[in-house]
Amino acid sequence: MSKFIATRAIRGAHAAIKMADDTLQDALKKMGPDTPVVFKDKIGGGTAFYLPTIWGLLGTKVQKLGELVPVMDYARGLLPPVPAENMWLPYLGETLDAGAATLYAFETIEAVRFAKGEQPEKKDGFEYNGPINDTQMRAWGIQLVDGRMPGFAALVGCAKSTEVAVKIVRELQSKGQLIFISSNRNGRNVADQLREAGVEMGYDTFIVPFGTDIVSAIYALGFATRAALSFGGVEPGDYRRILLYNKFRCFAFVLALGPITDMEYAAAAGAINYGFPAFADTVIPNILPTGITKFEHVVSMPFDDIPGKDDLEKAERLVQRCIELRGIKIKIAKVPIPVAFGPAFEGEVVRKADLACEFGGKGGMCFEWLRMKGLDEVEDGKVTVVGPDMDSFAVGSKNPLGIVVDVAGRKMQKDFEPVLERQIHHMMNGGEGISHQGQRDITWIRIHKNAVAKGLRLRHFGDILHTCLKNDFGAIVDKVQVTLYTQPDKVKELIEQARAVYKERNARMAGLIDEAVDTFYSCTLCQSFAPTHVCVINPERVGLCGAYSWLDCRAAYEIKPTGPNQPVPKGRVINEKNGEWEGVNKFVNEHSQKKIERFTIYSLMDAPMTTCGCCECVMAIIPEANGVMIVSRDDYGMTPCGMTFTTLMGTVGGGLQTPGMMGHGKTYVTSKKFIPVEGGIKRVVWLSKNLKEELAEELKAACEREGVPDLMDKVADGSQVTTVEQLLPWLEEKQHPALTMDPIIG
Amino acid sequence: MPGVEIPIEKWTGKIKEVKLGGGKRKEIVLGGENTLPFLSFEGSVPHPPTVAIEIQDKEPAGWSPILLSAWGDAVKDPATWAKKAAEYGAEAISLRLVSAHPEMGDTGADVAKKTVDKVLSAVDLPLIVIGPGVAEKDNAVLVAVSEAAKGQRIAIGNCEEKNYRTVAAVCISDGHAAIAKSPLDINLAKQLNILLTDIGVPADSVIMDLDTGALGYGLEYALSIRERVRLAALGGDAMVSMPVLSHAGAEAWRQKEAKASQGMPPGWGSVEERGIIWEELTALTVLNAGSNIVTMMHPKSVERIKATIHKLMGKK
Repeated sequence: MSKFIATRAIRGAHAAIKMADDTLQDALKKMGPDTPVVFKDKIGGGTAFYLPTIWGLLGTKVQKLGELVPVMDYARGLLPPVPAENMWLPYLGETLDAGAATLYAFETIEAVRFAKGEQPEKKDGFEYNGPINDTQMRAWGIQLVDGRMPGFAALVGCAKSTEVAVKIVRELQSKGQLIFISSNRNGRNVADQLREAGVEMGYDTFIVPFGTDIVSAIYALGFATRAALSFGGVEPGDYRRILLYNKFRCFAFVLALGPITDMEYAAAAGAINYGFPAFADTVIPNILPTGITKFEHVVSMPFDDIPGKDDLEKAERLVQRCIELRGIKIKIAKVPIPVAFGPAFEGEVVRKADLACEFGGKGGMCFEWLRMKGLDEVEDGKVTVVGPDMDSFAVGSKNPLGIVVDVAGRKMQKDFEPVLERQIHHMMNGGEGISHQGQRDITWIRIHKNAVAKGLRLRHFGDILHTCLKNDFGAIVDKVQVTLYTQPDKVKELIEQARAVYKERNARMAGLIDEAVDTFYSCTLCQSFAPTHVCVINPERVGLCGAYSWLDCRAAYEIKPTGPNQPVPKGRVINEKNGEWEGVNKFVNEHSQKKIERFTIYSLMDAPMTTCGCCECVMAIIPEANGVMIVSRDDYGMTPCGMTFTTLMGTVGGGLQTPGMMGHGKTYVTSKKFIPVEGGIKRVVWLSKNLKEELAEELKAACEREGVPDLMDKVADGSQVTTVEQLLPWLEEKQHPALTMDPIIG
Repeated sequence: MPGVEIPIEKWTGKIKEVKLGGGKRKEIVLGGENTLPFLSFEGSVPHPPTVAIEIQDKEPAGWSPILLSAWGDAVKDPATWAKKAAEYGAEAISLRLVSAHPEMGDTGADVAKKTVDKVLSAVDLPLIVIGPGVAEKDNAVLVAVSEAAKGQRIAIGNCEEKNYRTVAAVCISDGHAAIAKSPLDINLAKQLNILLTDIGVPADSVIMDLDTGALGYGLEYALSIRERVRLAALGGDAMVSMPVLSHAGAEAWRQKEAKASQGMPPGWGSVEERGIIWEELTALTVLNAGSNIVTMMHPKSVERIKATIHKLMGKK
């Protein structure tokens, strides 16, 4: 907490209380306590919420002047003393109390002004709006709830120039923010500036001028309070929920333009109670730690220090920064590219005769690399093309391409890089005439002639990625900037850097072991057809469909906290060897309609994971061989257990827990945590041929790791063995290790 | 049954009670039971399922002549229709704002508001209003409907995963119940309930529409999803314990079996009875699986279903 700000806010609050006291006492003397007080806007639209801030936060209905007396008594009681010279730790809570007291004082002052007929304010023939009426509050309140409107910007004071004022307002409007105007600098405020520039103000243009002094800023908080009462289902007096509602649902902030007065500091402290941070275009101390507001409380952005070639660009950046600091996410309605975009184009093939140009593929060089950067290192929406573009390539030619995507976000994590990077495939394929295959440094992109003819260029790759990443992953991504390289030297240089990163990621993945985390993730996506099935996904076992890794689930949870991937805290360990934890058991029990009571991560024989219907492979024990067989979904042949994949699937699927049988993902076979209780990969006596081939490299490594480098030669497949009778002599001949292991049953 | 002990299941959960109407309007309560449908020997079923009649704000196109002849000219005016529905024993009116659909007239908020005003003053039954099913239009007309019906506690739908905030907001603001529609999926149903309660809709103001398939068109899915949701709710999962609404009538009468004329094909039997039976069976199935309110269309099937409910509730 900044002593400077605390001192000035508390001093401002004292001044506000005094002003309110004096005004009220004077009015009581002249007009009497029974004089009615009613808020109305300039067109006579009223409110059913009395004095809304007082009613909402205190639960007190004020309809007459006299009823303001206890309100002021209460506000005075909130006032902390102004911090003394030698007092170094002004407490945040005291400043916030001072802020709240200020709000009651301001609303009291405006109420008295209404009683006296001095509101809404008039100045030089211009009529200020006064408080927003209920009808308008409802219309905007709905938009706040359904997300069409993020919140409001309370502009306090006067911008550097008329042009800057207009630019700030236009930028805010383009983000869907409401604009409230109050206070002044030397008698001028943003409303005066907008009038000079001929900008229409009013409900229709989403610009509401409240008044010429800071006291009128209370109407902004009255609006916020009423929104919470109407749409938050909050009862008057439940101040805590009103404040929280606004913190999380109304993306509002204060933007102080020009030097700030004590009373403005006090008002800003009041707004911080609502979770509305304050930003200033002048030099003031920052209050960066988060807490009452979602992110920083007070941020100073001295206007002249903002980067930009002129004042207008500075103004644009100022607004952009405010939007970011309040955590406002803007959805982009349409992918801005000259060809159509949508899932319908995902399966598109670009044939040789239609090929304009391609990137990567056999003998080519193309990579995509998504990396996390700091928030100030990424310029949102910036797309740069370095090197020649599509229209200059020879028809049908193969060209080098490097796609570098820089993302930044407050909730972004380094571990999400590969999760997002893998989405590039899906996003790019949405463009009509773009065919995308592979990932990382084996990316292969083909472009249709028609697409180039319609104007598709490389920068549109950037537009696609920017739009889709922000729209689909806005929960973790705040900013996206894309650079596309086509110069061979540059691509070559970057592809090496990217490869080093891929390697690092692989190593990181390899190091991501079950013991290193205290939370697994669930996947209940399949419960629509396997109602009692719960996948528990640990770092060393991919979901049984092969599509969800632990990291994917973690990212999915960040993106959609109410979705099918939920954190499963391990809890107290019950049996380390079998991988049984209290937390996991509890979660599975609760989410399996209480059908599954126990659940082990590491055993095939003792309470194994249930199977839905999507597993890539099924494993089943062959008691005669003292081992297990694994058949994959793409193997249509017979297996030694006498059942094909489909028949086996029918036996284990549907959410059943079948000791000795289990569905799993392909790569699970090579995991260090492959049925460790039963002895790991050495138990595998039969494996689908296609799986042997597909995972040859990984299997080799896994076998070496387990000290049985020649194991795969001893494991039979469908081309050699399809019955138990054939299997046993085979295993004996090859001296398969399973034969001499402890009995698998028993 | 001498000597046979009826097995009694002990449930921990209970279906939430959602009230509609009230004040000068008749009140109905949905839910409240702590056992499976109609098992009054096992637990308490305080409120029998409600039978609502579905009307629309526009003269129907493509309806079965059997259905049309049952209502006569009433279909030309929603207020007259609602009155007639009340005469035929409707316990609630379900008004579908068909005309707001961009391809069915594209009427706006003002028309919706007028229609709802008219229907509300024509009958004293609780009201359900369903939008045209196009997100943008739903949001435009239902906001107006909500305001027009403030204080009458109606049910407004639909809230869906991709579009629920606007309707939820006005339901909170105007004190109505929100209808949460999910496509035959317990997890999506639950997720939507969480989303709705998260943004502030009270849990006793949510009604679930789990989606309905008519007889021959997915009725088995409709049955099993209700069954699952109900078992989960009675098992103690509060986030799926909201009462369930089923549009049995609209689904049944949409199907060719209900609409095809006599002799097309000959084996299908009486056209007079066919649609009514289709609707009756669809409604009966979803009621037995746990629906707390069904919306229906033909007076005859309404009469029969009401009689069946009466019997199932053990009343004479």
